[in-house]
Amino acid sequence: MKHSLPWIILTLCGIGLAQAGDFDKFLKGLIKEKTQQPAAPAQPVAPTAPTAPAAPATAPGKPADQLLKALLSGNTSQEEEARIGQQISGNLLGAAPLVRDEGLQRYVNRVGRWVALQSERPDLPWRFGVIESDDLNAFAAPGGYVFLTKGLYRKLRNEAELAGVLGHEIGHVIRKHHLKLLQKSQAIAALGSFFGSKLKNENEIVQNLIGNGAEIVARGLDKDAEYEADRIGLVLGARAGYDAYALPAVLAEIGHVAKSDKSVSLLFKTHPLPEDRLGQLSEAVGERLDGLAEGQSGAGRFYRLR
Amino acid sequence: MGSCIIYLNTQRWIAMKTFLFLACLLATSLVATSLVATPALAASGVMLKDEDLRASASPSATSAGRLAKGATVEVLGRQGGWTQVSEGGRQGWVRILSVRAEAGGGAGAGLGGLLEAGGRRSDSSRVVAVAGLRGLNEEELKSARFDANELMKLDHYQVDRVTAEQYARAVGLHHLDLGYLPSPQREKPQEKQQSGPWGNGGLL
Repeated sequence: MKHSLPWIILTLCGIGLAQAGDFDKFLKGLIKEKTQQPAAPAQPVAPTAPTAPAAPATAPGKPADQLLKALLSGNTSQEEEARIGQQISGNLLGAAPLVRDEGLQRYVNRVGRWVALQSERPDLPWRFGVIESDDLNAFAAPGGYVFLTKGLYRKLRNEAELAGVLGHEIGHVIRKHHLKLLQKSQAIAALGSFFGSKLKNENEIVQNLIGNGAEIVARGLDKDAEYEADRIGLVLGARAGYDAYALPAVLAEIGHVAKSDKSVSLLFKTHPLPEDRLGQLSEAVGERLDGLAEGQSGAGRFYRLR
Repeated sequence: MGSCIIYLNTQRWIAMKTFLFLACLLATSLVATSLVATPALAASGVMLKDEDLRASASPSATSAGRLAKGATVEVLGRQGGWTQVSEGGRQGWVRILSVRAEAGGGAGAGLGGLLEAGGRRSDSSRVVAVAGLRGLNEEELKSARFDANELMKLDHYQVDRVTAEQYARAVGLHHLDLGYLPSPQREKPQEKQQSGPWGNGGLL
């Protein structure tokens, strides 16, 4: 009797391993299938028309599991990115709607689009929005969605700082940080739902992928992704003709907010602390910006909140 | 006679105006000087790395000694990518990102305030309403429901490439060539692939 217990455990483990093996094979099959598809629009940047197309509402006739396969293989098309971003953004806006100020929203879109044009994905259908929240935070979603809270906007002192903050979020989009997060952490969950094979429609699949509501934006990326986005934000701001030191100035300002302040609790939970981000930027910049032409602060024309 | 009195009065009036003008000028310059020179406005900062203290805001300026990482300095001003600091009687310039300003020292004295070109800042715009604070916590995000109307509004505010370029031209913003910054911890090969700012390469 005493010896039977280890055997039972061993047998169970064996079954588990066998299943894992099948699972792995299944995964590989999916990836292979995707990569064999001829001329999938994996690099849609260059050939797109200058005017950005709107995100497709649904894609009829498309196999419902296509999105999962694309994600797992790390080869999402621009349309698939847009679908995921659209779902996340719609949910985020459900939690915090846009600030009712058309002048503000247009202004942020003009500045944001100009900064995004300095990136290697200038023709994504970029959209920028200021959302109703007194928190200090900013968010990005795949496909070119960028948001910042009214609380953070109030902290900004000039257009260069706005450009730096938007540049950081643009960095997340162009390096596909959220897609990688989904690929990594949601792959198993997504496949779980795939096995459930109750794939009613694409909306449900996307929602299944991103979890509940807009919780994906509360989950946070890894530290390296944040540091990378800081470096990109600084560079994109400078390329756009703004003061290169504006994003560091925002970080310094946020660093002066008490750590216990409620307005920064989510920000500090999902990001490295501002002093660490400044330290990393300092290391990355070193002497590289010596001799850089001084950029604009755009303080005079900065749109003030009513 | 009458015209003489008027003449005298005019003379006195001009003299008074001149006096008032000079007094105003003096007062303004006094205030301005005190703003620049008062050490109470300077923030204290901490050196993030070892760096030369330079005689002027340039990498080629002569070194006036070295500041060690962790040293506490007084942050005095800014010029381009450089910040003026003083430490133990020494004064000079270091790269702006080599110093992290500490909080405190009064409103606007932090690195953020310093980094603002010209030192201007509008404090009125930074007053956050205390009543009815609206947060954005994890629970709210989790339970958020898709809002198609708001998404439509977002689309409506979208600005196309041409409009953005027109805006940049109108306000005198010019594109500047600058490569991405490599990661300081380890070299990331994909970042090196990006040759130019407008290149399409480097997508993962």
